[in-house]
Amino acid sequence: MNPTRRDLLAWSGGAIAGLILTPVPWKLLGDSAKWTQNWPWIPQPARGPVEVKQTACALCAKGCGIRVRMAAGAPVGLAGAATHPVSDGALCPLAFGAHQLNWHPQRLRQVLHRGHPASWQDAVAAFRKAVAEGPVAVVDGRPGRAASAVLEAFAKQHGSYHAVATREEQSLAPYAEWSGVPTAALGYDFANVSTLVSFGAPLLDGWGTPGSFARRWSRRQVRLIQIEPELSRTAACAWRWVAIRPGSDAALAAGIARTMPLEAAAQQSGLTPDAIEELTRTIVAEGPVLAMSADAQPAVAALNLALGGSVVQRREYAAPRVPLAGSHRGILIDSTVPWEYEPQASGEVFRFAAWSGGGSHADWLLPAPGFLEELTDVPSAPASAIATYALAAPLMKPGHPVSSAVEFVGASIEEAIRARCERISRDGAGRLYRPGEREPVALAGLKLEEELMAGAVWVDNPKNTKIVRCKLKNWPSEVGRSEARRSWTANWAPPVLPPLAAKLFQESNLRERPEGSLV
Amino acid sequence: MIPRRYGMVIDLDLCTGCGACMIACAAENNVPPPQPRATDRTGITPMRVQPVSNGATGADRREAFIPLLCMQCQHETPCVSVCPQQAVEVDRATGIVTQMPQRCLGCRYCMAACPYHARYFNWWDPQWPPGMEKTLNPGVAVRMRGVVEKCNLCHARLHAAEDKAAAEKKAAIDPADYVPACVESCPTQAITFGDLANAGSAVAQASRSRESFRLLEKLGSEPKVYYRSERAWVRELAERPARAPEVKRG
Amino acid sequence: MLRASLASAIGLSTALAAGWIVFPRVLYQRQSQPVEFRHQTHAAKSGTAQCTACHVLREDGEFAGLPSIESCAGCHAEPMGTTKAEATLVADFVKPHREMPWLVYSRQPANVRFSHAIHVRRAGLECKECHAGRGESDALGPYRQNRISGYSVSLLTMSQCESCHRDRHVEAGCLGCHE
Repeated sequence: MNPTRRDLLAWSGGAIAGLILTPVPWKLLGDSAKWTQNWPWIPQPARGPVEVKQTACALCAKGCGIRVRMAAGAPVGLAGAATHPVSDGALCPLAFGAHQLNWHPQRLRQVLHRGHPASWQDAVAAFRKAVAEGPVAVVDGRPGRAASAVLEAFAKQHGSYHAVATREEQSLAPYAEWSGVPTAALGYDFANVSTLVSFGAPLLDGWGTPGSFARRWSRRQVRLIQIEPELSRTAACAWRWVAIRPGSDAALAAGIARTMPLEAAAQQSGLTPDAIEELTRTIVAEGPVLAMSADAQPAVAALNLALGGSVVQRREYAAPRVPLAGSHRGILIDSTVPWEYEPQASGEVFRFAAWSGGGSHADWLLPAPGFLEELTDVPSAPASAIATYALAAPLMKPGHPVSSAVEFVGASIEEAIRARCERISRDGAGRLYRPGEREPVALAGLKLEEELMAGAVWVDNPKNTKIVRCKLKNWPSEVGRSEARRSWTANWAPPVLPPLAAKLFQESNLRERPEGSLV
Repeated sequence: MIPRRYGMVIDLDLCTGCGACMIACAAENNVPPPQPRATDRTGITPMRVQPVSNGATGADRREAFIPLLCMQCQHETPCVSVCPQQAVEVDRATGIVTQMPQRCLGCRYCMAACPYHARYFNWWDPQWPPGMEKTLNPGVAVRMRGVVEKCNLCHARLHAAEDKAAAEKKAAIDPADYVPACVESCPTQAITFGDLANAGSAVAQASRSRESFRLLEKLGSEPKVYYRSERAWVRELAERPARAPEVKRG
Repeated sequence: MLRASLASAIGLSTALAAGWIVFPRVLYQRQSQPVEFRHQTHAAKSGTAQCTACHVLREDGEFAGLPSIESCAGCHAEPMGTTKAEATLVADFVKPHREMPWLVYSRQPANVRFSHAIHVRRAGLECKECHAGRGESDALGPYRQNRISGYSVSLLTMSQCESCHRDRHVEAGCLGCHE
């Protein structure tokens, strides 16, 4: 008997009835739903233990203490180290996305020679040739490290050493001139100030270590008087904002100090003479006072001295800050130098960087270790009042060949670090702050290098910080150059922002989009 | 055990508008970096800081910053009452308004219902540059496109605190172990977090102070996120009628 | 009529057979573990019948369900016996220091939070109440994976969790069990 269409229909009817009596439809529905929720292209976090490591951030010169959560050999989150004596547990906003930087699309993974891929051997050969032929200038973006000492030694033999100073350090230049103490050893003592008069220094948005001033201010231990033309974040949060005309900082400072007639100062700054008088009374009402500016403003520095304020000198080795100029056979630029820095000199440029910001004129772009990928030491933060020392251990390995400038010249920083730790231990002064412990311990009997590798911080004895004596004959006549309000990313050394930082300007209106090629 | 009511008091006089909380929140919750097409309307910012001003110009202008997040409404929670999937509920033990993205079907009714615009839709599948998935936070499930998400008061950290307490055979978690990412990241420690039901806690005391207020209190949803400011013009912002918000652009 | 009834009866039985016998076989894909591990033998040889000897609850409350290759290497740095399984273990995993890609029978998807610390320490549950039989036998059993959903066949479902919670009167909202 041949099966007919009717047979097929009857068979199907039975099959459908039967199927409903089996688990098949329900199982298929449920399993398909689960299938739609497990697309293979959605990434999954790692499984396994999460370890917490204490180290320091080396993305700018401040060296804030960080607590890094690591899973499966990669960092999965960052937080401030709560008892860190320098950063006091605070971090800048960019730090919280920094753990993703090593995988930024612009990570430099290959040696580039004038834009074309090249090999490490080519770069080494070219560098050797440059060293043999003539002077090589070395540019260091973060002087004071062990790496800086090694580079300085190399430069003494083969050329010249140039350090790029931070803005905080540059603002201390007038005091250096009047006291003979190099800017590298000077600092602001925020801990002993009741009234802080800031001429445009963004103390709550990128000045110095985030923790150093912001935490004191948040505990309402200091009155902040912010003097600047525009309502910056610092001005909006300050105890008082004094709006002045752009470029009139020096005039107002002279007016407050009464070295310029009030009417003249009022005319230049846009305030009334009465207002300037009232401001002066307010400032001196609660001392000690510190007056400072964002850049080197001799008039503001002089005002600080006139108000009884001061700056301090810490125990610090200060390499000379000689600007780079002229012509050299080669120029070696360390990865700590900010990306916008273009050498005002001629020579074959060997530039180290972990990320490429584009638009570089360097002859050679050499991949450097990225975030948390290399051992480095953390000297005192620029413009800090007291000498400190810490180490940042590497927590992960890069996935491609990298080299630091120090390794490239055939040296290593281990010896320099050991020597420094031994010097500190021998000297015996200061205290050690272990991670998580509020009370420091004395150095006697401790293995300093080991402790520092585990995240401890050495802080010098406060007695070794001295108030600087300045000799000032006349009220300064030069007016420093105040830069217009800089971008909020100005202190950030790498050429790329952490990917999540775009939430601040692309997915909200909290901040301005950074200028230039910063992505 | 008295049920906990986790909440916050955010001191607007301490918020400098730096944005650390926004980034720390995104990192903790495995929120991907913004898509090139994302805008402030289509991006995912469970914590979001809004600049506001007193409307004046020149030397009389004053500005402030308001961190906005899920207000954890306790009473007749708007998003809970509209969800057709019961994908969100007010947890009885902790008071946290818990959004389960895996249960969500993406109707976005809750986004319309939320008076604080604190809910965000995954318009795109989350994508990270190659290799960056290694930095995902374990303990937080990654969502997919088509579902709504919001602040869950860093529930992964609560879970970790509970696990630790259980391993140590303790009945209750140590408050120091449960600190949401935004609270931990703030450089000026502007956010006080804790159990509002514990009358002696710092957060409960701060919420009762004269300078404390909540946004849109008159709606009666009893949000558990309080703000405080000694500046009268900032407090008055909470009572202002709806109009185009002061945006600080550029 | 009779012919139609016969046809539909054949359809019915085909469907029932397909649904109840064939479908379960086909739906699940058998996979084998990298190495055939014998729980009973190891318990006897190491002198401990405690699961916690290898499956550890860490101090911070996290559960290390899968021992790392270091714990295997503690004894198996070199082959101690003559089995092929051990030879594979030493050559392919211990020597090159590779973690074993175990197929976990009870691996929950990423959005599920199961706290061993709470269930073992606080509720006092024994391992065998949920992982019956695995630790006491020498046969791990085949790992059967659902071809559609990708989950293991022995995965605890939400209704199973809910029924146990209901029986013991322990409340857990969405927050307690989900990431």
